[in-house]
Amino acid sequence: MFAGVSLGLRENTVERILRTAIFIGLAALPALWQGQYAIGLLTLMAVYGVLLIGLDTTVGYLGQINLAQAALFALGAYGTALAIGAGASLPLALAAGIAAALLPGAALALPALRLEGPQFALSTLSFATLTIIVLNECESVTNGALGLSITRPSLFSIPLNATSFYWLCLALLFGVWEASKMLFKSRFGLAIEALRDSPTATDALGIGTLRHKVLAFAWGSALAGLAGGLHTMNFEYLQPAAFGYDLMVMLLLGVVFGGRRSQWGAFLGAAVIAMLPNLLSNRTLFSFLVSFGCILTVVRPIRALLSHRVPVFREAAPAIAMALAVTLVFFVPNVEEWRKGIFALFLFAVVVGLPNGIAGALTATLHRWIRFTPLPLKPAAGGINSSRKSEGIALRLFGLCKSFGGMRAVENVTLEIGQGETLGLIGPNGSGKTTLVNLISGLYTPDGGTIEIAGKRPASGSLMSAFSAGAARTFQNLQPFFGLTALESILVCQQEGGESEAMGWLLAVGLEGKARVRCSELSYGDLRFLEIARALATRPRILMLDEPAAGMSKPDIVRLIDLISSIKRAGIPILLIEHHQDVVAELCDRVAVMDGGRLIALGTPNQVRRDPKVIEAYLGADNIARENMEVLPC
Amino acid sequence: MQINVEFLALAQMAVSGGLMGMAYALVAYGFQLTHAAGKAVNFGQGELVMLGAFTGLSLSGCGLPYWAAVSGAMVVGAALGWFVERTAVRLALQQQNEGWVLLTIIVGLFGVSAAENIWGREDKPFPVPWPESSLDFFGISVTWQELVVAAGALGIMTLIELAKRYTMVGIAVQAVSADQDAAEVCGIRSRSAISLSWAVSGMAAAFAGTIIGPVTTVGPTMAAALTLKAFSVAVVAGLDSGFGLLLVGLALGATENISGFLLGSGWREAPGLIMLIVGLALRPQGLFGKKIIRKV
Repeated sequence: MFAGVSLGLRENTVERILRTAIFIGLAALPALWQGQYAIGLLTLMAVYGVLLIGLDTTVGYLGQINLAQAALFALGAYGTALAIGAGASLPLALAAGIAAALLPGAALALPALRLEGPQFALSTLSFATLTIIVLNECESVTNGALGLSITRPSLFSIPLNATSFYWLCLALLFGVWEASKMLFKSRFGLAIEALRDSPTATDALGIGTLRHKVLAFAWGSALAGLAGGLHTMNFEYLQPAAFGYDLMVMLLLGVVFGGRRSQWGAFLGAAVIAMLPNLLSNRTLFSFLVSFGCILTVVRPIRALLSHRVPVFREAAPAIAMALAVTLVFFVPNVEEWRKGIFALFLFAVVVGLPNGIAGALTATLHRWIRFTPLPLKPAAGGINSSRKSEGIALRLFGLCKSFGGMRAVENVTLEIGQGETLGLIGPNGSGKTTLVNLISGLYTPDGGTIEIAGKRPASGSLMSAFSAGAARTFQNLQPFFGLTALESILVCQQEGGESEAMGWLLAVGLEGKARVRCSELSYGDLRFLEIARALATRPRILMLDEPAAGMSKPDIVRLIDLISSIKRAGIPILLIEHHQDVVAELCDRVAVMDGGRLIALGTPNQVRRDPKVIEAYLGADNIARENMEVLPC
Repeated sequence: MQINVEFLALAQMAVSGGLMGMAYALVAYGFQLTHAAGKAVNFGQGELVMLGAFTGLSLSGCGLPYWAAVSGAMVVGAALGWFVERTAVRLALQQQNEGWVLLTIIVGLFGVSAAENIWGREDKPFPVPWPESSLDFFGISVTWQELVVAAGALGIMTLIELAKRYTMVGIAVQAVSADQDAAEVCGIRSRSAISLSWAVSGMAAAFAGTIIGPVTTVGPTMAAALTLKAFSVAVVAGLDSGFGLLLVGLALGATENISGFLLGSGWREAPGLIMLIVGLALRPQGLFGKKIIRKV
């Protein structure tokens, strides 16, 4: 493959030039493609663009199947129509549409966004069905199934004809596009990206999972309302049946077809779903499109066959689907009857063949041809020594208990970590160490006992509340934000400070050279260090490290010991779970030993090493008599 | 006396709704099967019900006896279930994205279009060998048809549950539901187990079609609302709840009928939907589901 030309351009600049050019072209299009029908179609495309950018916030950025967007669109449309009926001006009517979608959307989001996957999809589907029932049945307000007619109001007493209304829609689409892009490039967008990979980590690091999800959903709902308002003014007639299941499937397909997590994708998808069904009514064009699609899809399986291997499902299935579509188009007498089926085959080929949509495929091609210049990195600042000094008792546990069913995972644990102290927590596998950290960090609700972090008592079972009190942790089973780069992973965790500070934290853990590398491409050891940097960036009052050296190479362990020593010197109290004896022996002021959920010993590394109960826990009762205890972890 | 008559009418509504609710439970059971094995469900399950009903209808049109037609429909349903898994679900699950939701919708869309062209758009009656008359229990009348729906749903679910618990294949499928990787290490082909679950789910859907068909008549859109209702039953009961969905199915069927009677037919589905959203918000794992413990 060739390496691509370097134009000395930033990706952002190229994108902006392309986008501006397309919008100028679209604005000039009514001069070439005239007629009421064409303008109506172009306006529909702009309206769908706004709607799909909104839908993409949940389907793309949150990664949840949202089936309520068509209903929110309907609510926006009715809100605007009713406001116009009451004599509202155009901006006010649009605001009414936005409110009509935003308020029910937010009311739905609060319960629904606690759910995941099929449950979320179902609750949005129920909301959608319910909305259509209400619109149909509340005849006194909505005129039921007969529908509502309105006249488009003028904008600041300038009457709007079809073309100028199209320009208004286009301008709004441009604004929405820019705003969405900025929103998802900001820290808010990073947080959305992060919580898709690990909602547990985003809560434990104080980013706030539910808050961000609800805000993103609300933004999507507001855009649905805006689009609904514009839709009303475009068609000047509304009917509940137009916003049902069919439209919803169409919108979802538009987003996937265009490409998720991209405003470009939403725009391209909108163009496709606005234009395609109308273009398909032209038989010749329809046959041409299907044949062309078929030729495109057979390239990959043929290439596979030429390199002497059987094409895999992903390569073969789109070609088979398109071949079937071609057969239907050319050999079946009643093609009109089969239109829905051919459309389904077409969509199947696209969803399987282009999992990242058109925008994804285009971006990949562009990146292959042009090498973009990345933004320069800012110099590092801050780092561990800028950490806030903690005072008083960092952590106080009293009589902490937790059982799962009949299994007592943590039983009556009482423990204290003093100012600037590093406490090692050791014990055989399954002795309850991680459960204890999960209790302190608020992932689990304790059955009994109290937790006090830096003098505050967090609400039990709340990750966010434990974080606010000053707890930060790493995870034994890594919880990286795979979609973010190393630098972004730090930025999203910082409560204050910018890129320089984030670089400072990366420098502190030795990852400054990998700032722009995605977490999905970082090595296991690097990810462990990145987790520590993430936790440090939140400026914790107590840092909990859950087996940081697990799976690390020898040189990495040496680096880790240096890092933890410097954290210790900076005065941050640490709770360290670790199996490596050299790590514990070198770093810990005191060591606590757990076995079967109980705390069986507490003291300096030397005291604990001689404790017969500890030796029994590790080696069994027979070995107590043995004098040589070098196998012990400390 | 007046009160008594009204109460009787409500009870009548509840009983016939509840018996039909068993059909929701049966389709919901299909969701449960595939979700347990592969963490995905068929958003086109209603279309499988419809295709099963049409197949049964065609087979009995060929002169086959009712029971043979039903068995034939079940075989076709199993094949379709396997086909959906193979074409729409397997790849998307390997890529760990949500594409399967869309792909199952798309395959369902194609199914509707195919049915329209093969069997036509009109609703057709489904002939049955049992009488049209009804039985009377303390003033509440129950048709034979409703009894067949309830008994059939209960019977097939019991059979599948027994097979799951007491045959080696069934136990292997359960192992795959618990942990795919661990099952594979023990020599169980988890792909085959997932395919099997989808085939059984498709079979249950086709069977549901043949017992609902006589009540609703058979047409390409007969199952449009069924997917949502059955899915509601599955999720409210909990996607791992076993027989819990029978209770929820009964409750949903009864509620629908009563609210249609009290509020007007347009509002029939509204209370069920509200209950669904509230229920999910309060108990995301479902009424009978097990609480999920997050492990890190």
